[in-house]
Parts: sequence; C-alpha cells; structure tokens
Amino acid sequence: MTRPFLSIRAVRKAFGAFVAVHDVTIDVPKGEFLTFLGPSGSGKSTTLYAIAGFQDPTSGDVLLEDKSLLSVPSHKRNIGMVFQRYTLFPHLSVAENVAFPLRVRRRPDAEVKRKVADMLALVRLEKFADRYPGALSGGQQQRVALARALAYDPPILLMDEPLSALDKKLRQEIQAEIRRIHRETGVTVLYVTHDQEEALHLSDRIALFKEGRIEQIGTGEDLYLRPASEFVAGFIGNSNFLPAEHLETENGVALVRLADGSLVKGVKATQALGRGQKARLMVRPEAFRLTPMEGNASLAVEIVDTAFFGDRRRVVARTGSGDEIDVRPTSDTAEPGGTDAASGRQIFFDPTTAFLFPV
Amino acid sequence: MQAHSLSRGSIAGLPAGSGGALPALVLVGLFFVVPVVALLLRSVTDPEPGLQNYAALFGSGTYVRVFLNTFLVAAVVTVVTIVVAFPVAWMLAIMPPALGSVVFGIIILSMWTNLLTRTYAWMVLLQRTGVINRALMGLGVIHEPLPLINNLTGVTIGMVYIMLPFMILPLVGTLRAIDPMTLRAAALCGASPSQAFRRILLPLSLPGIAAGGLMVFVMSLGYFVTPALLGGTSNMMLAEMIAQTVQSLLNWGLGSAAAFVLLAVTMVLYAIQLRMVGARRLAGGL
Repeated sequence: MTRPFLSIRAVRKAFGAFVAVHDVTIDVPKGEFLTFLGPSGSGKSTTLYAIAGFQDPTSGDVLLEDKSLLSVPSHKRNIGMVFQRYTLFPHLSVAENVAFPLRVRRRPDAEVKRKVADMLALVRLEKFADRYPGALSGGQQQRVALARALAYDPPILLMDEPLSALDKKLRQEIQAEIRRIHRETGVTVLYVTHDQEEALHLSDRIALFKEGRIEQIGTGEDLYLRPASEFVAGFIGNSNFLPAEHLETENGVALVRLADGSLVKGVKATQALGRGQKARLMVRPEAFRLTPMEGNASLAVEIVDTAFFGDRRRVVARTGSGDEIDVRPTSDTAEPGGTDAASGRQIFFDPTTAFLFPV
Repeated sequence: MQAHSLSRGSIAGLPAGSGGALPALVLVGLFFVVPVVALLLRSVTDPEPGLQNYAALFGSGTYVRVFLNTFLVAAVVTVVTIVVAFPVAWMLAIMPPALGSVVFGIIILSMWTNLLTRTYAWMVLLQRTGVINRALMGLGVIHEPLPLINNLTGVTIGMVYIMLPFMILPLVGTLRAIDPMTLRAAALCGASPSQAFRRILLPLSLPGIAAGGLMVFVMSLGYFVTPALLGGTSNMMLAEMIAQTVQSLLNWGLGSAAAFVLLAVTMVLYAIQLRMVGARRLAGGL
C-alpha cells in the first residue's frame, strides 16, 4: 500500500471537559478534494484548524508526506488557506495581496510578477490587479483570497466555509470556479462546509462529522445512496423517515411493518436488528412514485398538497398513521389528483432503495 | 437693534439647520478666538507696534534653543509613548472584553488623578535618593545614583506616563477594527510574526498611531507642569519660558509672541496630518 499524502491520525481536541474532536483519522491521497461536512459544532473546523496550526490537538498527529506538521509553526507549514471571512489585507492592492506570500518568502521580483499574473488569470481577476479589497464584491474578494492561497504552490489548500458569506447565486458561480481551479492545479483540498449541496457538488470524498466524530466517509454517492446511519441519511439530501417495526431479516433483506399496519418486504437492512425492534424506514422523496412498478411496495396515503416545480412535482402526503411524507416525482408523471384532504390514494416505492435504521 | 440684525445676517450665511450650533459657536468665539486674536495683537503691539517681539524671539540663541528643545522633548515623548502604548493597546484589543474594560477603567482612572500629585510621585521615585536609585543600588546593579531627574530622562518618563492614555485610546480603537483572522491569514501565507507585524499590523494601525501621536506631540509642545518639575534648567521648554517671560519679566509682548508661534506650528502640523490621512483614504485602503 502506498503511503498516504496527508494523514490525520487519531486527532483529538478537548477544551476542558468538552471534547470537540474525538480521535479523527483520515488518509487523504494527493490531489483529492475532501470535504468535512457537518452541522456547526461538529468538530469539522477544529480538525481543519489543527492542520492549519491555529489550535494544537490534545493528542494525535497530522502527517504530510510522513512528516509531522504539529511541531511546525503556522507560518512555516506552507499551507494555503481561504477563510470564512474576508481576510485580504485592506491596505494592499489585489496584486500585492496575491504577491504577499511570495514577498515574505523573498522571491525575486520577476518571479513574483509572473506568478501574480498567473494567479489573477487563474481566478479571472486580471483587470482588478490595482484595485483595493474594499472596492471588490464579496465573491471577488474570495477569489483574490484563493489566488493568494495558491500563489506559493502549497501542497494542501484548506478552505473554511469560504462561501458562507455569499448569496446563493454567487455561491454556485464560485463553486464552479473552485471545481475548475482544483482541476487545473491538482492541489489537494480540504474543504469545510455545513452545506450538503456544496459538498456534493465539489468533493471527491465527503467526511460527515457528527459531535466530533466522523459518522461516514465516502463519495457523495456512497453517502446518499448507502447512508451508514439515520444521521447521514437525514443530513445528505431529503429523506422521509417512517416509524416501523422490524419483523425479520433473511439474507440482509428485511421485512418490516409500518405504523399503519402495512407490510414492506425487501428492505435493505444496514445493521442487525432484533425481531420486533423499533426502527425507522428511510425513503428518499424522489424514490416515491405515483404509479406502481414491478416489485414496488405501496403505501395508502391522502394527498395534502401538491405543487409544480418545473422539473419535479412536490406532493405532501399523509399516511394512515398521520406521518407526513415529502414526495418528489418527476413532473412527467401524472398529476396526483384532488388536493382535498379526503382524497385517498396509494403511492409506491422500490423497497431496495429504502433503508432501515434502528431507533 | 443693529447688533440684532448683524447676528441674523450671520445665521443666514451658515448652512441651513446649523442654528443649533450657535451657542457652541458663540462659546468658541468668545473664549477661544477672541483671546487668540488678543494674543496676536499683543505680540505685535506690546510694548510698541512692530515685529520686534518676533525678532527678539528668533534672533536670540537662547529662545531658539528653547524652541528646539521643546520640539525635541515633544518628539522623544511621542516616540516613546507610541512604543510603550502599542503593546498595551494590542493587549487591550485582543483581551476578553470583561477584563479589557477593567484595564481600560484603570487607565481612565489614572487620567482623572491629579496631574500635580502624579508628577510629585515621580519626583519621589526618580530623585537621587529616590526609590528607584536606592533599589538599584541595594541590588548592586549600580554604585552611583543614576541622574533620572532634572534632565531629559526625567521629563520623558514623567510626560510619557501622563500621555499614555491619549495614545492608547485611539490606538485600541484602530486595533480592535483589525480582524485577528487577517493576522492568521498572514501567518499561513508564510509571514513570520515580525513580518506580519511590519507588513500587516503596523500599516493597518497607522491611522491610530497618527491620531494619538499628533495629540501627544501637540499636548507635549505646550506642557508646563511636568517639564517644570522634572526637567532641568538646561532643557527648558517653551511653556516654562512663556511663564517666566510673563511672570518674572512681565514681558507680555514676548510671551504672547512665543505662545502664538507655538499655536501656529501646532496648526500647521495638524493640517499636514489631516492631509496625510485624507490622502490615505483616497488611496482606498482604509
């Protein structure tokens, strides 16, 4: 097995009695775009800060190409970082901001000039070289910050929620820029965000944090299609959780009874469950259909509301046991019919796309 | 009746809505502009009309020396105050707010303590047989008492102590406005602590240093009590000279001329600073 490029080994960070990060271990291959995803306070930023050198971990180690980073002060780690807030130097022009890391490294003037031009071209801000940060929009400032962080060809680029201060449209624009820049430079990126869409859009792999631990690490598809826990299923994408009772499992395929008494067979069981154990059945909104297909499970519901969203419809249904279900069929399927609360009907789903989690 | 219409006319000449500023304007006019004009008049009319007071002031080596010494002391005090105030202001800026306000309170409190008391306290500390000299001799660090009083050292120590709050207050404001993340960013960019200080923190705190520095310099130029008590005869400052000229020599004309020169220099300095700060703003940085 080849040595990992960046290795985070059992990093733990405690603030007094509170443990912010519990023994997080991740190996990151060179060139990967790895995102730390999680709700606020889940330890993702703290882990990133340990790599940046802003907070020494209580225990554990961070190795870059087999050498420990922990004893190296921040300014000698040679790591690039883009922050949540705009951290450009307000008294320096855009070009001088990008040149700053090269100037403190005392690189020759000609090289600095060439590199600044390259970097500004990379983030498409050539025309803004002589502006001051105060005269730039938030999105432009973060692009300059990106150029500054990449100017010295760091082996790792850390990004701490760099888009959280921007509005939605700008966020998507800059996400596309970040993807392109990652492709063009091949830099290894560790990216922190609480936005699952952003994580899915950008990452090669996602490490989903929960209460200081990694709940699951894998590609976006892994996390979405094969969630390891209810938390993962709930955090990535939209999910419906139906109260259920586990009846039996055979060859990894479970039979469950839903709260309204209906039976669903052929559900994938992710964990061993006892007979009669309370569980929750997770079904993605887009897995529901309004017309049945071979092998589908059915659910008797009443339609509470329906709306049209162009590519999809959004239907709110209520089961016999009173649980509301979010249904997102593609819009080419038929209109589900009356919206008055009394109109009863059935909706269908493929049980092999559903997951059973213990409560 | 005539006076009434005159005052109406002057209000009409001001921008609309500035009527509320009238009492303040009257106050400033009565207690500031009038005395300054009187001072100026006196300097060119006493004892007889002409510029002989200014000629005496600039023609005499003694007076010129006093002027130069005044600027030297003010400059030294300003520089030392900046150097001492900066770390204090930085500490205050990054301190937890609760602790910060306590330290702030202590600094403000020192400003409210009587100036004379504080200066006498320094006399007790600094004199040949004072606490500092005795302690140092007791520790065997020195064998002869250090000359800490009645010279530039004494004046500098005493004045810096008094000027510190005037430097710290504007500086804390400027430093607090600097995002600490900016310094972290500088560190990750590869800037050593001293590079981050020189290239980022210092330039960003310049407006505060300039504002505080000008205030300290101008206040130091006209300072009387501390130089009079802690300074020596060989480095007399302008305020002392004016006091002597007026009190002992009863030469109001010469005293007025000296005071007016001091005022003019101060205003020129202020104008220069305004222009510099304005130019920086235009440059777009701050």
